[in-house]
Amino acid sequence: METNQLLRHLNESVGAEHVTDEPTACAPFSVGGVAPALVVAPDSIAELAQVLAAAHAAQALVVPWGGGTKQRMGGRLAQAATPLLVVRTQRLSRIVEYEPADLTISVEAGISMAGLAATLAEHNQMLPVDVALPAHATLGGVLATAADGPRRLGYGTMRDLLIGIQVVEATGRVSKAGGMVVKNVSGFDMMKLYLGSFGSLAIIASANFKLIPRPRAAATVLCSFPTLEAAFGLADAIQQSQLNPVAVEFLSGLNETAADACQLAVLAEGLPAAVERHVRDVSQMAEKVGAVEVQTLRFDDHAAFWQRINDLPQVAELAPGEMVLRLTCLPAEMGSTLANAASLASRGGLKLLTDARALSGVAYLRLAGSGWQPLQDYYNALVARWPNLAVLAAPADAPASLAGWGRDPAGLALMQQIKREFDPQGRLNPGRFVV
Amino acid sequence: MNRTQLIEELRRIVGPRGLVHRQEDLLTYDADGCVMDTGEPHVVVVPETTAQVAAVVKLAARAGVPIVPRGAGTGLSGGATPIQGGIVVSTARMDKVLEVDVRNGRARVQPGVINFELSQQLKPYGYQFAPDPSSQKACTVGGNIANNSGGPHCLKYGITASHVLGLEVVLPSGEVIWTGDGTPQTAGYDLTGVLTGSEGTIGLVTEAWVKLTRLPEAVRVVLALFPDIAGSSATVSQVIASGLLPAALEIMDRLAIKAVNDMYKLGLPEAAGAALLIEVDGVEDGLDELLHEITAICQRNGALEVRPARTLDEQTRVWAARKNAFGAMGRLAPTYYLVDTVVPRTKLPYTLEQVGVIAKDYNLPIANVFHAGDGNLHPLILFDRRNQSQNQRALEAATQVMHVSIEQGGVISGEHGIGVEKQDYMTLLFSTDDLAAMAGLHQSFDPLDLFNPGKVFPKGKGCGELAALRRAGVEWGALKAAGMM
Ligand SMILES: Cc1cc2nc3c(=O)[nH]c(=O)nc-3n(C[C@H](O)[C@H](O)[C@H](O)COP(=O)(O)OP(=O)(O)OC[C@H]3O[C@@H](n4cnc5c(N)ncnc54)[C@H](O)[C@@H]3O)c2cc1C
Repeated sequence: METNQLLRHLNESVGAEHVTDEPTACAPFSVGGVAPALVVAPDSIAELAQVLAAAHAAQALVVPWGGGTKQRMGGRLAQAATPLLVVRTQRLSRIVEYEPADLTISVEAGISMAGLAATLAEHNQMLPVDVALPAHATLGGVLATAADGPRRLGYGTMRDLLIGIQVVEATGRVSKAGGMVVKNVSGFDMMKLYLGSFGSLAIIASANFKLIPRPRAAATVLCSFPTLEAAFGLADAIQQSQLNPVAVEFLSGLNETAADACQLAVLAEGLPAAVERHVRDVSQMAEKVGAVEVQTLRFDDHAAFWQRINDLPQVAELAPGEMVLRLTCLPAEMGSTLANAASLASRGGLKLLTDARALSGVAYLRLAGSGWQPLQDYYNALVARWPNLAVLAAPADAPASLAGWGRDPAGLALMQQIKREFDPQGRLNPGRFVV
Repeated sequence: MNRTQLIEELRRIVGPRGLVHRQEDLLTYDADGCVMDTGEPHVVVVPETTAQVAAVVKLAARAGVPIVPRGAGTGLSGGATPIQGGIVVSTARMDKVLEVDVRNGRARVQPGVINFELSQQLKPYGYQFAPDPSSQKACTVGGNIANNSGGPHCLKYGITASHVLGLEVVLPSGEVIWTGDGTPQTAGYDLTGVLTGSEGTIGLVTEAWVKLTRLPEAVRVVLALFPDIAGSSATVSQVIASGLLPAALEIMDRLAIKAVNDMYKLGLPEAAGAALLIEVDGVEDGLDELLHEITAICQRNGALEVRPARTLDEQTRVWAARKNAFGAMGRLAPTYYLVDTVVPRTKLPYTLEQVGVIAKDYNLPIANVFHAGDGNLHPLILFDRRNQSQNQRALEAATQVMHVSIEQGGVISGEHGIGVEKQDYMTLLFSTDDLAAMAGLHQSFDPLDLFNPGKVFPKGKGCGELAALRRAGVEWGALKAAGMM
């Protein structure tokens, strides 16, 4: 009867129309095949705090839910006899404070990345973290999963842009850290703790960022190569030069023909003269290392191209027999790592699509096969050599061994201690992160 | 364990050369660059290896004596000051660059490496360590990491946290862990991130992988002179708002100009009320255009003169003047108290005006030399420490600067940290729940409060208590009422 009591409390806190226990309404919010008993959508941080306090009193397990585009990530949710509550952040979508002249903004966590981008674009500014499915992905979800984008090379990740945060802990306690200034060492950097903590320590309620002015010019040099080695030859040449492109993305498996099996997309942004210099130099370098085709994309073509790239690692929709992995390694090992990953895939009879931040050491691998066993074999072979291998999504029928974050990180005991400190009863996303 | 026994055991760990225990030698370690607070250490060790550090930490835990990590002692918030005594662990002998891995854009260094030395060693490879505190010729990378230090070029390149890839730390338990090696997006919580800026309170850094930054192809430096500080700070906020991102934007006011003029023979007209140092960098193409636009903004805001520093020599001289400006203050007064706060950039003109008012109110000269592009103020309150009344007024004036900064939406430290200097001002900025969350993180690492105790958190009740109250779920208001805070 805990569920009924919790339902009553939630109704009181947020209004009955924003709470449901209808099985059909709850089903779309299933995590790892488990449907929640209740779904609630608070409208303010105060309401969110009340919801968590009520959940805590009812000993409910809590899954924070933004746009739901990445709920396939993480270990299997630990089951318990207590009710499972999904807390949606969708209604927490206000711009709290935006001072364009300061290039800072404070926003609630439920805003969509596209919505935020549109607001910023009105002032010719941006938060240069490009994520998959921006119309659905929420800011809170992007922070909780520490999602990165191709332009991390030039602008960094959320880690470099997040300047303040407000969270609600498992007990309903609200706390904040950081501020609305671009440089701040007043107190511990709690932003780093919550960023990428996968809703396992607290629910992110709002966040502050430093913004970047939109570049005056931008262009993409798209180079096609017959081999992976040739493509990474260009990546290496760029790394050794004094050019500063904002993205260097390696792609393979997009094209069917052998001659242009691999591509390297180089994005330059900034002053028009600097962008033209990049276009000129990169094109020349590409030809030197054996590019079969070099195209320059500008304006709409360029924008459409990058949105497609950003969506490549999406895990909201999976084709049957599909698995998506994120492999990270030292940047200089990316080329040889991907060569290995590709030959393993072809030996295992798997189709592979690769999208890699060529100079940053991050790769997204989309694999397709029939049944989960070949995928499991592939994963096992890969993780034996590359411990930082996260399963972003696997077929629904795959076992729990095909989920999670790769091999245990160093410092796991300390991380577990942090988890115990912040969520002693293990109520927030239990089993999915730092177990 | 008494002091003699402690010293004996330490001697066994670090050897006689790694030990400082004579009373007169300990004096060097009783404060950092912030002279407002001092404390005498029981003993100082200068280990050479991680294993030695770990052994010292285990011994300290057994003896119940605090560990106080220390780099070069240039900190300005009392971070390395042994306020409760204890064993000061100096990294002075762990000062090597162990590995430069250009292909992976990283270098493995010991914590005692001097910031400037590191960049010098990277130069032949075409790289630098981007964080460049003005104290870079003296301060250590370990100190930079512990304080998450800034510097003029952080405007474009970001603070230290953006340049640390992984740390080897000795934890308060004596355990040694590596938090990363430069592989991005690893599983679990960002231990590297939370350790950076933790002011030596939760881990002692014994090695680090730091990020290398490519030296730019081209650099331009100009010095714009203004009749007053208002024109220069308005320029800064307009340059930022217009979307031009310089590598550095630094301001010196009239008093500072006078001091550096005397020392560096820059020949700046002393009629100038403010000098704005502007640096842009990147590929050669477009750089002049960028500078041209910035110059136009200077002129619109009433610049008297915009002087390009054409040769490398001229550029070095201008930068030396800026980076050594604090030192030059000695020409104006026996002591300065540097207050480090930050405000949103558009609030700079008003805040600086208020700093001028504070100088008048407390009847002490205040010079300003600061990282304007980030909104990071550094009022230097000039006074004579031997004068009781001046001492008191300097402290009050500093508090006033913090109040004004917070009123303007700012914070109490941009780069120097909280240490002991600002611990009691944390409550101006943070609620008890905010502090309790920080205490929760602290407790996960250091439940016995062994590392750098009595810092960062407000005096009186330590972080252990804060965390315990948090665990008990007690309302802060009730605690306050009960006189526990
Ligand atoms: C003239 C002058 C100019 C300055 N300019 C700037 C500036 O532009 N920007 C800026 O940010 N700062 C500046 N500072 C402040 C200071 O130099 C920096 O904070 C610097 O990073 C401190 O380094 P340090 O080696 O002197 O550290 P210390 O002062 O010895 O220690 C600083 C803190 O780090 C801890 N610590 C040291 N080593 C370790 C370690 N290995 N592991 C764990 N904790 C450790 C200490 O316990 C202490 O809390 C300036 C200081 C002076 C005197």
